[in-house]
Amino acid sequence: MLLDIFDPKAPPKAIGIDLGTTHSIVAHVVDGRPQALVSCDGTPLLPSVVHFGDHGNVMVGNAARAHSTRCPERTISSAKRFMGRGARDAETQRLGAYRFVEPKSEDDAKVVRFDLGSRNVTPVEVSAEILKSLHQSAVDQLHSVGGAVITVPAYFDDAQRQATKDAGRLAGLQVLRLLNEPTAAALAYGLESRKNGLFAVYDLGGGTFDITILVLDEGVFQVRSTGGDSALGGDDMDRALAEKMLVIMDCEAAETQTPEIVSIALGAARQVKHQLSEVREVAVELPRRGGDTAEFRVTRAEFEALIDPLLARTGKACRRALRDAELDPGQIDGVILVGGATRVPRVRQYVAEVFGREALADIDPDLVVAYGAALQADLLATSSDDILLLDVLPLSLGIETMGGAVDKVLPRNTTIPVGAKSVFTTYADNQTGFDIHVVQGERELAKDCRSLARFLLKGIPPMVAGMARLEVSFHVDENNLLEVTAKELTTGMEQRVEVKPSYGLSDEEIEDMLIDAIDHGDEDFEARRLAETCVEASRMALATDKALRSDADLLGPPELERVEAVLLELRAQIEASSDAARIQMLMHELDDATKAWAGRRMNRAIRAAIAGKDVAAIADSVSDAAGVEAHLEAHGALTGRDE
Amino acid sequence: MTDPFDLFDVEPAYDLDLGELERRHRNLSRALHPDRYAGRPAAERRQALGRSIEVNDAWRVLRDPVRRAEALLARLGAPASENQSPPTDEELLMEMLELREELSTARQKHDPEAVIRVSGKVRQRQARLSDRMAADFRAALDQKAESVEGRDRFDTLLQQLAELRYYRKFLEDAAVVEDELY
Repeated sequence: MLLDIFDPKAPPKAIGIDLGTTHSIVAHVVDGRPQALVSCDGTPLLPSVVHFGDHGNVMVGNAARAHSTRCPERTISSAKRFMGRGARDAETQRLGAYRFVEPKSEDDAKVVRFDLGSRNVTPVEVSAEILKSLHQSAVDQLHSVGGAVITVPAYFDDAQRQATKDAGRLAGLQVLRLLNEPTAAALAYGLESRKNGLFAVYDLGGGTFDITILVLDEGVFQVRSTGGDSALGGDDMDRALAEKMLVIMDCEAAETQTPEIVSIALGAARQVKHQLSEVREVAVELPRRGGDTAEFRVTRAEFEALIDPLLARTGKACRRALRDAELDPGQIDGVILVGGATRVPRVRQYVAEVFGREALADIDPDLVVAYGAALQADLLATSSDDILLLDVLPLSLGIETMGGAVDKVLPRNTTIPVGAKSVFTTYADNQTGFDIHVVQGERELAKDCRSLARFLLKGIPPMVAGMARLEVSFHVDENNLLEVTAKELTTGMEQRVEVKPSYGLSDEEIEDMLIDAIDHGDEDFEARRLAETCVEASRMALATDKALRSDADLLGPPELERVEAVLLELRAQIEASSDAARIQMLMHELDDATKAWAGRRMNRAIRAAIAGKDVAAIADSVSDAAGVEAHLEAHGALTGRDE
Repeated sequence: MTDPFDLFDVEPAYDLDLGELERRHRNLSRALHPDRYAGRPAAERRQALGRSIEVNDAWRVLRDPVRRAEALLARLGAPASENQSPPTDEELLMEMLELREELSTARQKHDPEAVIRVSGKVRQRQARLSDRMAADFRAALDQKAESVEGRDRFDTLLQQLAELRYYRKFLEDAAVVEDELY
């Protein structure tokens, strides 16, 4: 490889991060090809394990794992399972080696907290440590790191996604995008093969299962349907074995299952599981309560019988996803396997049974998601025209109605970004407030769905019951994150909406954590804030410059003057690097000054993308088929990887 | 919100070429998806998001036969909310009851094949209905709705829409049962 000469003027590299249940990986794109970076452990795969030492030190990866048997309560692995979950969720109660803080109130129960003895820590903070480590590895190897694309299971709900975004923020990353893991995998394979067709991504990771059906057509990856189980994965295989082992260890009773014992059993189970992929029978010595040891023996056939019920659950999700996509298994052109658990021979066999064909596994199933994330990060950073990912809403969004039923506002598998409106009215005279409960899930009753947020619409003008028209708008963006706004229509006023998320950390809590983290380091909080503001402002100035070079003709003379004036002052302020507030203000002003122009440029972009129609005609119109084909052909021939 | 047919620049009709629709959707997405505006100023990103949402909403309407019919009726001047549909055909009600019983029996007997069979029957009816609706909408769009003949067509179209809703609800419920039985 040629000497990697660091060019200080080169734009910062964008990175992709697979924040996995068992392992996390950071990757970037070099010469159009994805490459995994080396973690602090010296290998690409960083165990998603974090150890919190007694003296406030934090260890990530193998170093942390070394502590898992000695002090399991201070060593957190599989934090991903707990992201976005409350203290009372079913998942929180399952077999695990952690101690949890008993919540003091309903509010407190919104976030699960690990009890480390001298301190508590949330899953978001744990994940942030992993992200920080990967970020540091990237900085060490790339010198200048820009934004990051972080992957999440396709089946993650809004709470779990927000938690991931929060973790990124806490780690000091600029999160460019949250990307669904199966889509990332498809991107990695699709860009490899460049073949159009229908693909199924069967993603069985440590803690989650996702099935996604996609179509790749002329550079557009479109998700048709998605399904899965956010509480089913390779870890469950370990658990099934561990439960058998605990019997041999004479620790069937719950009181005997101390965190240390459970940790030993899970560790042994994981080893056995891996070995059974190579040999047909495994025997292992396990410590028994009382001091001696006992032999645990298991055959591959027995293991397969143990995991078949888990695989059946995946089969059910696959069938549902195929039905949602209105496809038969036979119509799928390729099945992509993702996740370490797919190395188990029985899993491959099962997948072949469900889809009637052998799966593709050329790309390392442990790295493929990180590769996809890196590719997407590269596409976003270079504003590439080459590929587009169109994802879907994985779970229906709805509102709780009188009696506890769910009124589905947005059905699952709707292409995002997407919006919907619902109109409500008051049921009592002079009712000035209205309570709305937003839920996510497929069940009929609100209590069986995931609670996302409660709204209190206040300040409704007093009226006769049934007269008020309260319009609630839902917007789901490209990250699959939900935003809700409300308007009272009869008066035309946007009323105050107070959103109380039912889960997760508030902005204040995160700010506090950030300040806390800085306190433990040497950084000045204000300095960091200023630096971040300058970076954002520089980006904006650069983008505006770029736009002026191509589309200045769409600006009227007074507009152009204004934009140039604001831009000049913004640049001066960035140079001076002292007044964060003033820079923010200038960014808002630039935003304002370029709004109308942005609309005109968008129209131009539409016309460029869909050739053929008369410029005077409606901007958002599409030409006839021949025109589109010709355009795409010409477009394909011109696109290259060089800037 | 812009009329979905106008946004996609397709001739308003009930029988749309779904393949062509999908291609238009993809092209519009290419131009408007927020990912395309990742490096751009916030104002542009917000606009792109807004327009993207509009395009995806319009696509949802055009792809879904029920909402497509509603959009066409709106263009013809008859907002079709469920409260305003004419009284349903007695015969249709009887037939739906029988089909529902068939579904219920299949469920009790844990017979997924039977569920598929009865769903098949409903799909066939739906297909025949679609052909009728396509023709009737075509005729209605070709002439003004104010004429007497036009108003009759309106009633017919509303009735057909009601029938379509029945079939749709049935197929949704059957899918849930099928899911249960596996």
